[in-house]
Amino acid sequence: MATGFFTDATLCIGCKACEVACKQWNELPSDGFVFSGNSYDNTSELSGTTWRHVAFVEERAVAEDTVVSAWSMVSDVCKHCTNAACHEACPTGAIIRNEFGNIFIQPDVCNGCGYCVVACPFGVVDLIGHVDPDGVLYNLATLHDDRREAEQTALQGSGGVAGKCTLCYDRQRSGFVPACAKACPTESIQFGDVDELRERARVRVETLQARGVDASLYGADDVGGGIGPLNAFFLLTGEPESYNLPSQPVLPSTRQAHGYAAGALAALALAAVGFTIFRGR
Amino acid sequence: MNDTYYDRPLLKGPHWGSNVVTYLFLGGIMGGLGLIQTIAGSEKTPEAIRLRRDARYASFALAVVCPPILISHLGRPERFLNMLRILKWRSPMSLGVWGLVAYTGAAGANVMRELADEGTLPRWMRHLAPKVLNPVQALLGAFIAGYTGVLISATAIPLWGKGKTHIPAASVCSSASGACALSSLLSTLGGNHTVTRKLERLEMVAALGELAILRHFRTHAGPVGAPLFEGERGERFENYTVVAGIIAPTILNLIGQVVNLPKPVDAVRTILASTLTLAGAYVFRESLIEAGKLSANDPKAAHRQPQ
Repeated sequence: MATGFFTDATLCIGCKACEVACKQWNELPSDGFVFSGNSYDNTSELSGTTWRHVAFVEERAVAEDTVVSAWSMVSDVCKHCTNAACHEACPTGAIIRNEFGNIFIQPDVCNGCGYCVVACPFGVVDLIGHVDPDGVLYNLATLHDDRREAEQTALQGSGGVAGKCTLCYDRQRSGFVPACAKACPTESIQFGDVDELRERARVRVETLQARGVDASLYGADDVGGGIGPLNAFFLLTGEPESYNLPSQPVLPSTRQAHGYAAGALAALALAAVGFTIFRGR
Repeated sequence: MNDTYYDRPLLKGPHWGSNVVTYLFLGGIMGGLGLIQTIAGSEKTPEAIRLRRDARYASFALAVVCPPILISHLGRPERFLNMLRILKWRSPMSLGVWGLVAYTGAAGANVMRELADEGTLPRWMRHLAPKVLNPVQALLGAFIAGYTGVLISATAIPLWGKGKTHIPAASVCSSASGACALSSLLSTLGGNHTVTRKLERLEMVAALGELAILRHFRTHAGPVGAPLFEGERGERFENYTVVAGIIAPTILNLIGQVVNLPKPVDAVRTILASTLTLAGAYVFRESLIEAGKLSANDPKAAHRQPQ
């Protein structure tokens, strides 16, 4: 049995209470006050210090001479994959599957190598808490839009650990619902046993489809690429890409066998040539 | 293909900088030297024996230098030890760390054997490094030369994932040609000219192999390969790695094979060719990492990830 989230785009009103509740409960620092210019989404993405992110998909549709805006919001979160790329990539064993079946990063074991960051096919995990060469804790509030570039230069040779949604491990241990689900005023975010959530989601999507809504589930079943079903899955009203969810994610470790085989073949060929050159006099 | 989310990146790029690039470069050469010391050891001429010794010393020196460079990107160096609490077959980084530890052991033992054989260390110490460690260092060296390619292609970065076979194979070739270049440099400087020819022959094969793989990767990757092959980054890669790092030294090495140059001129030729190959190998690793950062920012490539 595992716990997870069912996040329903048709119920989300874009209030961002989940983002605030998550930041507050998990004591995550601010991302700064920056206008992205993208609808009402100034959070922009999940990061090491942003574990819920409400995506605002604003579509302009022309209906009988009038331009109308169609809105769809959904709160993105770590997917707690059945086969998690970060979990496989982690060389220290800091990333574990805990007793609730959630993917959890033990910050005291993580050594900040950053391999999980590039492994995650959903762009969820990121490094946080870097200490700069002067010993100052790097504040992500000053970064935001330039974050990627700034981090690469300013955080050269500094510390830090990987950060992402813990699925409120501490709250679950005490029998509480995760902060985001608790704060959600419309039950767009539902928390519970994943099998039960999946059942509920299937009923919900059928009801919506019967009403003529273009609704589909993302991650309730196998997303492909070896990842399997997601323990935090979504009900969407458009294509996954429009919510910045990959339509074709792949578990990166599935490529390893090819890589080792190709490398071994190249080494073998070169060794054969080398022995021929040196012995064949 | 549907519109992506305001063209925002889907993925997070690597935080890796020049220290990781330097490790990939030096670590590759270190692994390649493991192969060379075994290959050279198969020939029993005094020149080949000298080459084996040089390759062993150089590989051990690199094995001493590499871990601190690798560890430097972790910020708090003591956290490197966290990697030694576990061995994970599914994580190329975990396997690589253990490979590095094992390689350092084998390289150190083989250096000890050299020193014991020549009398610097007590002769009984040669029994601490049995002959079997010679092929062991070659096998571990081949792994070290290639695992970094597997490591980066086993990520979500589209460019790297697309090169799941090309990048590891090209890494092995680049490591081997780099190790040949360093060995021929050391041999030439040490006046050991006979083996230089042979090393340069092997270097040419490795370099041409790398060139063929990179050319094939370019067509295979299509638009996903743009961050590596196009734009400013692509130009740098083409100029430094392909032209100056592969084609130019191959021509120089070919000249060395067919034209009987006077010794001093020939030495300059070898030094030039080796330096070019080594510089090209560094830019190869640098380009892979930097292009990976660009690739991570391309949402179109990231939404449909390579199998």
